[in-house]
Parts: sequence; structure tokens; C-alpha cells
Amino acid sequence: MSTPTLSSTPPKRRHRGLLLVLLAPGLLALLATFILPMAWLFRASFSDSVMAAFGGGWTLTHYLAAVTDPFYWRVALNTLTLGVAVSFFAVLLGYPIALFLARTQSRWRGVLTALAVAPLLTSAVVRTYGWMVILGDRGVVNGSLQALSLIDTPLRLSNNSFGATVALVEILMPYAILAMLAGFGRLSTQLEEAAAMLGANRLRVFWRIILPLSLPGILTGALLVFVMAISSFVTPRLMGGGRVFVLGTEVFNEATVTLNWPLAAALSIVLLVLFSSVIVIYQRALRRLEE
Amino acid sequence: MRTLRNLGLTLLYLFLLAPIIVVFIVSFDTRQYLAFPPASFSFGSYAKVFANEAFLSAFGRSVVIGLVVGLVAVSIGMLLSMALVRYRFRGREGLNFLVLAPFLVPSIVLAVGLMLVLSPVGLLDTYAGITLAHLGITIPYTVRTITMSLMAVDRRVEEAARVHGASAFTAFRRVTLPLVRPGLIAGGVIAFLISFDEAVISLFIVSVRTSTLPTEIYRYLEYSTDPQIAALSVVLILISIAVVVLVERLIGLRRAI
Amino acid sequence: MTDSHVIVEHLVKTYPGASAPSVDDVGFSLPRGEMLALLGPSGCGKTTMLRMIAGLVAPSSGSIRLNGREISQIPVHKRNMGMVFQAYALFPHLSVAENIAFGLEMRGVAKAERVEKVKRALDLVKLTGLGDRRITQLSGGQQQRCAIARSLVIEPELLLLDEPLSNLDAKLRDEMRDEIREIQNRTGVTAIFVTHDQDEALSMADRLAVMSAGKLEQIGSPREIFDRPQTDFVASFIGAGNFLTGQTTGRGEAQVEGVGAVRFVGEAAHGSRVRLLVRPHRLALVEAGSGGVNRFAGRVENVVYRGQLMSITVAAQGVRLQADIPTHAGALPERGQQVTLSVAPEDVTLVGAEASPPMDPAI
Repeated sequence: MSTPTLSSTPPKRRHRGLLLVLLAPGLLALLATFILPMAWLFRASFSDSVMAAFGGGWTLTHYLAAVTDPFYWRVALNTLTLGVAVSFFAVLLGYPIALFLARTQSRWRGVLTALAVAPLLTSAVVRTYGWMVILGDRGVVNGSLQALSLIDTPLRLSNNSFGATVALVEILMPYAILAMLAGFGRLSTQLEEAAAMLGANRLRVFWRIILPLSLPGILTGALLVFVMAISSFVTPRLMGGGRVFVLGTEVFNEATVTLNWPLAAALSIVLLVLFSSVIVIYQRALRRLEE
Repeated sequence: MRTLRNLGLTLLYLFLLAPIIVVFIVSFDTRQYLAFPPASFSFGSYAKVFANEAFLSAFGRSVVIGLVVGLVAVSIGMLLSMALVRYRFRGREGLNFLVLAPFLVPSIVLAVGLMLVLSPVGLLDTYAGITLAHLGITIPYTVRTITMSLMAVDRRVEEAARVHGASAFTAFRRVTLPLVRPGLIAGGVIAFLISFDEAVISLFIVSVRTSTLPTEIYRYLEYSTDPQIAALSVVLILISIAVVVLVERLIGLRRAI
Repeated sequence: MTDSHVIVEHLVKTYPGASAPSVDDVGFSLPRGEMLALLGPSGCGKTTMLRMIAGLVAPSSGSIRLNGREISQIPVHKRNMGMVFQAYALFPHLSVAENIAFGLEMRGVAKAERVEKVKRALDLVKLTGLGDRRITQLSGGQQQRCAIARSLVIEPELLLLDEPLSNLDAKLRDEMRDEIREIQNRTGVTAIFVTHDQDEALSMADRLAVMSAGKLEQIGSPREIFDRPQTDFVASFIGAGNFLTGQTTGRGEAQVEGVGAVRFVGEAAHGSRVRLLVRPHRLALVEAGSGGVNRFAGRVENVVYRGQLMSITVAAQGVRLQADIPTHAGALPERGQQVTLSVAPEDVTLVGAEASPPMDPAI
């Protein structure tokens, strides 16, 4: 027996009208800002007219160019290398912080958590600028080393992929920390105590209990950083000084400098495919891990 | 053991906060080029920022765009959330997915698509164009926050209002709306901050006429790295912190997000 | 006491920032093969006690000896104790068998031997054949068994159980209670368990330590604790009871206001204020006017039928007494009826005495 309530009255005609009013603006916005752009992108990537990317016939030229040109192979390889390196280091450096935040009972925990994600409040452009100051030829590192007379000529720390990697690691680390914290649900002090009671020293507690239990969080963090890194372009471009070529910078280049929009669209689709396959692979892996 | 751990953590935090700290220090330098350590201490760079026409007008545009985006994204988000939470209709699951789908697409990919769509209708480098583009990436956030607060509202409270004589609309306005207000404010603030900080999509959509502050900084950085940018960055960081603190004071951020 | 397996002396734990110690000068000894229950209300320090013995909490002062060896400085992973946690703390990423084998692995036991021992442990707790299951595939009771097997397979010096039955539903609880007792008997392991449930403590333990506010109130066999509580706290915490307050007038006799002379067991100085405990089930209905000591005549105020027993409340000359009467004992009293209750002097226990100055009747 169900109690009759207002909420369980079946929707009437006027509800349909109301529903339409509720849905219309959102659907329109989604159509204009997501569905149409994605459809256009797809269509344009097959367009044979370079400037007017919307009409014209269908062609595979741009994909063929992307696949056959060794330059784009290098770009794809650079992108993957950057993604792997950035996600590896962001997780490696973020893990101790996330682990500490998840396990500590310190009353500073709230402050320290806020501090770890505070960089998210500042635009990536601003933080990239910070890294230009740190790694530049006359920046913090080189300036200090020269002041200490440890080096004569500045080390090449920026305007290359090293600088881009370091900056991206720092810029994406807060995301890694947040994702790991969210994925550490299975960690508990009681499990650590149980392992210690059974004779495990601190190192073994870490290897046998803490690390395996935090693996889902680590994977999530790595995935998030990886997909953000492979689609980044502001940081690689500014930190790379035009010498770092990844999919993001090439898409931007084709779209705003060369103005070859169909090629930009094709490269975007390549990026999207890469992006989606990583997510799919990750979900498979996570499912296997948690089953 | 413990001190070693604390030392390691301190170093990691230092790495994480390094660019912000450095930007802060450099902002008090006034040389025309980037160098460290600063040679002087002055507010000269700040003075220059506040005298820079390009920055000031870009800042103004960013604020206006951010406010409009925040307001519209919250309104549309509220309507969509109402439909998604309160109604059962065909295609609801699909809509649920569609609303969150932009999360699954890198913003640079979406940026190219938006550029391709806005160009033929003459919306590139217009307020309408950039606002629309920012709406696309902020609506998923507002829908998510508002949906969560709506789901937390006990429908029986609304029913109690109806039983005691309120019309459906009055019950919504006097009971439901106040209860989801933290979600609305949080969604609006998030939408504003995202729009205000957004660089990737903006770089594809805007050029001179409607350049926002992040794109202005990006273009500036391509040619020069003088401490003006540091001073400007500090101002932006302070604004972000002020907004967050304000929201925290008003409604409690943790409750809102 | 040379056969004492565990000896705890003057154990104190004050957490940093706390105003009062959580465990305050507790000492006891436990013979080999016995099962001790640490019983008390929440916050009494029993869990801290257990965690100090386990090595999970460092004592502020005092000593813990196991087999005559001081262990309070030995780190937790070298103490060789088994512990069953309240929520079992089974490792979710390992299978049942891997969970049980964990302690053996830490001890460097060879694989073949490990497999053999795990199999025997599974048999012991009746989980035969379930070794390959994931932890999440086990029911609550099975998880409990798995946790017990995991802590016993390492052949611990001491088995510790933290509220072992609190996560089970009522039916399973009774079953596991007997089962834990049986496993402990069979393995002969010395065990200490913490509980706030007196039934659990009374039915499972060989020895019961009642704690309150960090202090050890009384330690003894379940019977001693139940029938001869030595403090007010123990008397009121364990079982239901009627308390009578009076002044001793002679050896084993006190004058209780409104009732008259009550004979009891216990030593108290002449003229001191005493508190006497009478368990409800020790009170019996007798014929009105029949002679003898410890008679309480009064009117039945309330009756509650409880199956095998009937609880009646009798207002007898200024005291209100609760009595549990077996329902097979012929005619049952009704509300409003006049009855007489009696209790044997050896069932009246002295729980508190103070040599207070004689009461001023003017007050």
C-alpha cells in the first residue's frame, strides 16, 4: 500500500508543457555549444575546401596527411610522451601529499587540503608565467646557481619540453591530488593496524596494504592528468617557446595561424579518439582491479 | 622518521606553490625583463598594470562576460536540473549523459568545433560568441551542483507547504528555492570563476575586440615577460581568493560544492 | 602466581590534551588458556586497555608482561598477538585465503606450509572450501570467522577481540558467541575481549574485568561478578537489582528504613551506612504472615508478563522492589494484590559501606 502523495500523481497535460519550458533553453544551449560544434568538427575534418570548412565535398586528405606525414607522427609521439611523463610525475609527487591528507588526524588537515588545491584558483596561464620566472635563463634557478657561482652559462630549463613538463606537472598536480583523495575510500587505519598485528612492519604495511588499496585512486589521478596533459596547449606553447610540438599546439597553429581548419578539425578528432580510448582502457583496468 | 616525512611534504608543497610564491615576489620588481632575484622593491609594476589600458578594458570585459555567463548558466542549469530531478520522461537518461558529455571532450577540441560553428554566423570575436562558448563549458558544472542540491531537498517539505495551502508555484518559491540557494550560488560562482580564468576556448574565439584578460595575458606573454604580468597575476589571485572567501562566508563552500 | 600468562601492572594512559587518564592504574593477571572479558560502558577505557596490550597505543606508564617478559616497549608487529577487529578489518583486495595467509607470509612461512595451515584454519572456523572467495562475497558471520582464522593461524601468544559480536545481528550473535568460546577452548589460546554487553561477557568469559572511568572496578569469575559485586558501579551495571540503604545494627544485619531488619552477607563496621543488593530473581513469593527473616510485605503495583518469568513491582513499606517470579509457580499475583516477598540472607549482597557519622534525625 502506498500512501498517496502529491509527488506520485501522474504527470498531466499541463506538466508536459511545463517540462518543455524547463527543457527548451538547456536543449538549445546544448545544441549550440556542444552538439553542433562536435558535428561541425566531424564534418569539417572530411571537408575538401580548406578555407570554407563547411561545404565542399568529402575527402580523407587531412587524416591521410595526419597519418602519413612523419611530422605528425612525431607530434603524436611527443604528445604521448608528454602525457606519460606528466602523469607519472604528477602522481609520484602528488601521492605523498594525498596519502598524508587522507591519513592524517592533524587539526591542520583542512588548511593543508585547501593549500594543496589552492593553485586551482589561479589560471593556468598565470602559473605558467610563474614557471617561466622560475626556469627562465635569468630565472630563480639559474639566477641562484649563478649567484652561487655553480654555473657560468644558464642551464636550458625552459623553451624546451623539460620546462613544459615541469610546469604541467605542477599545474595538474592539484587535480591528481583531488582524484587520488577521492579514490582512497578503501584506505583505513584499522586495516593498517590489522596488518601490523599480523606482523607487518611499516614498509610491508605500505607495500601490501596501503599501496594496493590506493591503486584505484592512483589510476584515476594518472588518467585525469594524462587526458588533461595530452590536450593542453597553453603551457606547452608558452613554456616550449615554440619548440615543443604536441597535438594541442598543432591544432591551435592550424586553426589560428595557418588557418587550415579542416586539418585542425582532423587533428582534433585524432586527439579526441586518443582521449576516449585512454578513458575506455582505464575503465576496463579499474573494473578488473575492483572486481 | 617523522621529521624526514615532514621535510619531504614541505618540499612537495613548496613545489606546488612555487609559481604563486615566485610571481608574488617578482611582482615587486620593476625591470623591463624577467630576472631573479628582484633588484628592487616597489609597487611600480602594480601602478603600470592599473595604467595599462589594454589590461583594464580586458579585465572589464572578463568581469562582464563572467557575470553574464554565471547568471545565464545558473538559470539554464536550474531549469534543466528541475526537469532532470523532478520529471520522468523519455530520453531523460540520454539528456543526463548529454549534459555531462562536455566533461568528456578536451576543451581544445570543443574550441575548434565552436570556432567552426561561430565563424559562419559572424559570432567570432563578439560578446555573444564568447558568452555562448563559455556557457557550453559552464552549464555542465551548474547542472551538476544544482542537481545535487535539488536531490537533497526533501520533497515532503514542499508537500507540507502544499498541504498547508500554498500553490505549486508558491511552494517552489518559498520552500524549494531557498533550500537550493546554496547550490545556485555555488554554481554561479564556479561558472564565473571558470569563465574568468578560461584561456583555451577564448583564444580560438576572440581576438582584439573582445579579448578577455587571460587571452590578453597569454598574448602579452608570447612577446614579453616583464613583471607587470606578475603584478597582474597577483591581483587576479587575490580576486579569486576574495570570491572564494566571500562564498565561504556566505554559505560555506564545502556545503555548496 | 607463576602460571599467569598475562600480567598487567599499574597501567596508565593519558592521551595528550586530555584532562583525565583514559586508563588509570589498572592491574590484573590472567592465567594461561583463560578468556578475559573487559566490560564497561563506552568511554570506560576498555578499548584503550586492549589497544595498549596489542601495542597499538603506547602506555603512559605501567607494565605489561606476557610469559614473564615485559612487552610494553616491543613494537606492535613483533608482539605475536592475534586481533579480531570490531569491523573485522579484512583486507578487501585479498581473497579469504590470502587474508588468512597474511600473517604467515610476514613470518616467512614457506608456501606449502602456508597452504596447509590456511586450510586447517579454514576448517577450524567452518569456512572449508571458501578460500578463493573475495571478502565482499562473504556474509557478516563468515567475515567474522575469516577474521578469527586470520588471527589464530599465526598461533598467537594472545588473542585479542574488540567487540567481536557487535556487528552481527541478534541470531548470529548467539551462534558466534558459542562458536568463539568453542574455538578458544579447542585451541587453548589465552584471549582477551572487549565488550559493553554484559550477557556476552557473562556467557563467554572465564574471568570478567569491569571497568568504569578508566579504573578497574572488579575482576572475578562471572558468578562472583554477578552474585558478589563489590562496588556500587558493578552492582548497578551488571544485571537488574534492588538496592536497599540502611544502617548496620549488628554482624550481617542492617536496619532498612520502612522495612526493618535485613540480614545480609558481608563485613561492615557497626553503625555504618550500607547499600545492599537484591537481584530480582532471588526474591520469592511466600505465604503472608509466615515467619522468617527478610520478609517484605506490600501491594503489587505493576505486573509484566515475560514468558518464563513475570516481573512484578511491589511497593513494600517505603521501598519499591522488583521481583522476577517464575510463571510455572502456581497462582500468579495480580495488580493491587497484597503479597509477601522473601530473600535468603546469602542472596543479599553488601555493595557499599561507609562509616558515616550517625544520621541526624532532624535532617
